[in-house]
Amino acid sequence: MKRLIGFIFSAALLFTGSAFAQQVNLLCSPDLAWCEQIGPAFEEATGIDLEFVRLSSSESLARLRAEAANPTFDVWFGGTGDPHLVAFTEGITEFYKPTVWDDLLSGLKNAVGETYIPLYTGAIGFVVNEGILAEVGAPVPQCWEDLVDPVYKGLLAMPNPNTSGTSYTIIATLIQIFGEEQAFEMLAAIHQNVAQYTRSGGAVGLLAGRGDVGVAIQFMHDGVKYVRQGFPVINIAPCEGTGFEIGGISLIKGAPHPDDALAFIEWALTPEAQAIAAQRGESFQVQSNANTPVPPESPDLSSINLIDYDFATFGSPEVRDRIVAKWTNEVFPVPRR
Amino acid sequence: MATAHAVSTRRDLRFSGAWIPALIAGIAFLALPFGRPDRAFFTLDPAFRPWALGSLWVWLVLAFALLALIASLLPLRVTARGELLTVAGGLGLLSGVSWLMGTGTPFGMGALLSLIALVVVTGYGLSESGRIQSDAFVASSILFVSLFIILFILFPLFIVLRTAVFVDGSFTLNKVWSTLNSPLFIFAENPYTEQSELALMSRFAVIGTVLGALWALSRRLKFARFALTCGVAAAVGFFIGFMIYGRGALPTSLLVATIVATVSTLTGLVFALLGQRTRFGFVQRSLGAISLLPIITPPFILAFALIFMFGRRGIVTYQLFDISSNAIFGIVGVSLAQILAFTPIAYLVIRGSVASLDPALEEASQTLGADRWTLFRTVTWPLLRPGLANAFLLTVIESFADFGNPLILGGDRGYLATEVFSAFAARFDPNEAAVYGSVLLSMVLVIFFAQRWWLGRSSFVTVTGKPSSGSFAHLPRVMEGLLLSVFALWTLLVLMLYFSILYGSFVQLWGINNTLTLKNYRDFMTIGWPVFLYTARVAAVSAIPAAFLGFLIAYLVVRQRFFGRSFVEFGSMLSFATPGTVMGVAYILAFNVGPWLLTASSVIIAIAFVFRNMPVAIRGGVAGLAQIDPSLEEASTTLRASSSVTLRRILVPLLIIPLIGGLIFAFVRAMTAISQVIFLVSPGNMLATVLLLGWVEQGQLGRAAAMGSILIVSMLTVILLLMLLTRRRDAGVVGVGA
Repeated sequence: MKRLIGFIFSAALLFTGSAFAQQVNLLCSPDLAWCEQIGPAFEEATGIDLEFVRLSSSESLARLRAEAANPTFDVWFGGTGDPHLVAFTEGITEFYKPTVWDDLLSGLKNAVGETYIPLYTGAIGFVVNEGILAEVGAPVPQCWEDLVDPVYKGLLAMPNPNTSGTSYTIIATLIQIFGEEQAFEMLAAIHQNVAQYTRSGGAVGLLAGRGDVGVAIQFMHDGVKYVRQGFPVINIAPCEGTGFEIGGISLIKGAPHPDDALAFIEWALTPEAQAIAAQRGESFQVQSNANTPVPPESPDLSSINLIDYDFATFGSPEVRDRIVAKWTNEVFPVPRR
Repeated sequence: MATAHAVSTRRDLRFSGAWIPALIAGIAFLALPFGRPDRAFFTLDPAFRPWALGSLWVWLVLAFALLALIASLLPLRVTARGELLTVAGGLGLLSGVSWLMGTGTPFGMGALLSLIALVVVTGYGLSESGRIQSDAFVASSILFVSLFIILFILFPLFIVLRTAVFVDGSFTLNKVWSTLNSPLFIFAENPYTEQSELALMSRFAVIGTVLGALWALSRRLKFARFALTCGVAAAVGFFIGFMIYGRGALPTSLLVATIVATVSTLTGLVFALLGQRTRFGFVQRSLGAISLLPIITPPFILAFALIFMFGRRGIVTYQLFDISSNAIFGIVGVSLAQILAFTPIAYLVIRGSVASLDPALEEASQTLGADRWTLFRTVTWPLLRPGLANAFLLTVIESFADFGNPLILGGDRGYLATEVFSAFAARFDPNEAAVYGSVLLSMVLVIFFAQRWWLGRSSFVTVTGKPSSGSFAHLPRVMEGLLLSVFALWTLLVLMLYFSILYGSFVQLWGINNTLTLKNYRDFMTIGWPVFLYTARVAAVSAIPAAFLGFLIAYLVVRQRFFGRSFVEFGSMLSFATPGTVMGVAYILAFNVGPWLLTASSVIIAIAFVFRNMPVAIRGGVAGLAQIDPSLEEASTTLRASSSVTLRRILVPLLIIPLIGGLIFAFVRAMTAISQVIFLVSPGNMLATVLLLGWVEQGQLGRAAAMGSILIVSMLTVILLLMLLTRRRDAGVVGVGA
């Protein structure tokens, strides 16, 4: 018996250690390559340990909601803005005004107000594998309306809005351009063409790059990554205009390491930290700090027809939950002919 | 033997050994905080010391510990003292637990230690009072095992069922109704197609009825049975139509499970027959390797190798046959991946029943003039049937529970196991996840217990203890050629897939840039290696209690008679049969808040591993104990050794091989598990398989292949060491099915 008790304790002791250390628990939603570079750089700059879990932004929201009573994460880093806004509205995150607030691009700040801190911005587009399209004689799509054409059957990929904030941005963009009714008709037609819905917004471009599909709908800066990796893809900005995201960084309410969390947020908004994204993180968004150099590979947002994205409406929990549920129940289950 | 022992000790005792745990309970209560403010286990927060809690109730723990201490030192009659200790220990335990549950305070170290000590006190009490006819060690073990089963198996599953019907604190069936009604679950009549699916399903029912009627006519059944046959046939027909034309998670999972179970069972039968009756020795020898594959491979690895081989740009489909199609995403791909993963399990089960065939029976039948077909139909087939049914049902269960393959290859369809995950992790609807979980759980349990009930009743054993003489006739040439080609195809496919993972780990960018590189392994070393080591550590730490607890349960169940024995058996079987995703949701719902707060720690991952892998050790222990004569233990007890000494000095040395086997299998299974633990990982507690799945989804395929290769090779090494140790040609004996 004593042995059993002794064993239980020795096992328990094996698991101790990090309880008192300085540490930041990061919920990281951008590209995995970027997430992986943050920890070492932050530890080097501040000496504080960083542990991260990478989840797509809608999944992150789900995780934060699940843990709201008892959070394990300190900071939510990156991911599309709408779920950040939802989290703020629901009281899961709290606003913190960083010392570099005045250096952040004013357009981004004005769009989201004092809810979450803008981290980067980027626009939705098509990542196209021309070779695959040429095989079936399909033209390169230039507009949203092109995608409903049955010629793209089995050639489209997009992320699933249940898990991916990118996908929610896509749907919200369509609704803002075409109105909800027509947008859902288009989504139903696009659904007939989609070969695979992915869990993560960044991953669909890979399907296009590898040639599993011809067109991936996703953020254009993610497409840049696949171009640079050597995949035969190009980036297209849709002709009707396109939506964009204001990726965010949020402090979790009730964070287990609040001081370290603030230290991390301050660090993450410096030009040095933001430059890591393009230099080592294979991420080519336009960063929020005006002093961060814009990577030469980034899609030029001034030449793209951006819509006047309504962040307040589409970042409200009710709208978001309703739209995702509507897609999940009315579009997703329909079999493809 | 137990009674004699108890009587002999009862006379001698002037005081009870229970004073030690009672004292520990008291000291722990006073010295350590009873609760804790958050997730950190080892806090010494003064606000959670008993006197700071401002509750008299919690002091009952100390009061009962003191009562037990006094009682154990008083020169009372042994049985009376036993009753007193039982009551004191039990009530102390109850007051501590009820305080924690009542206030919802997470347990602290003081609570943990004093409550464990009070369980031991109760064990002494039950033993001395004679309520459990054995010594305090056995009594405490029984209590601990029962409490573990309640806390870590039954309680979480109960929470799942409760969450399905309790939404926001009040009872409602709305969630059950809306979930079961949602098109994600069942989508029978599809308004977007021109045909009517229900009509098509009815057509299948009509075909079923006609076939049933024809069969019934040929058997000249009476009217009642005739009608019954037609009815059942109609239902089966409709059901088949429902699986084919219906959409949503339920029909899809059913269809895939049916396809996979049928093909896997047939392939397993092919392998089993070849193993016994082929003319080629090397085929027989290489069959052993088949039983290894599912144990060393994380369940979804083959899925992404399948994309490489059979995707739109797959090597086989595109480069060899010039087919450009995405057919691999969907039912075809998931079924193929699952067939590859579960055929070995079917093979192991069927091999067991093939091994019990007696050549003498077949010789007798042939001597009586039966031709090969009659022999097969009347002798071999009836003997094989239970084994085949067993394999079929086991693969159905595995297919329902499988999570990784549908996640990667699912395409446009939902599956029950993945819906549990996405309802929870994506839609964040714990109630919906619980409904899916309950549906999946009940389907699996019905099959599991129906199978045990059915096979438990029919005894088809032809071996009577004596090894039968003679050997089997070889297979007919044509038949053997056919079976061999199935085997060759399977081997080719599996080798190709494993090779593609290995190859993929050495190239820059699969299919685009095939220059060889070590970059993936460098990436793996910087990012994956710490996670790999952490996983190995948790797996190793959890393997020890898994093996010993399993062994202890086997000992209690086989050698002891006590109230609640069937409960212990049932509980451990339940943890074996429950799909991993369901257990994952159950753990996160049960251990995220309140008195048993454990989430976001290594502890909960280790506990999940322990209870998931314990049943393998139980079966190893039961099989081992059955071969050991109880008189050995009786001799030890007669010489006044306690049962803990007997267990340690007699049984453990004799059963060291199955014990180590259980240990290593618990380790390997923990290293390759995903479906349950994907719910439980947290910052700093990342596991190799979860990271690997993330890499696959994020498109870091080279790195994922590198991690996969390293996992497979290291697990293979571990298993080969085990086989060397036990001198067995294949691992299945201790492993999955058999």
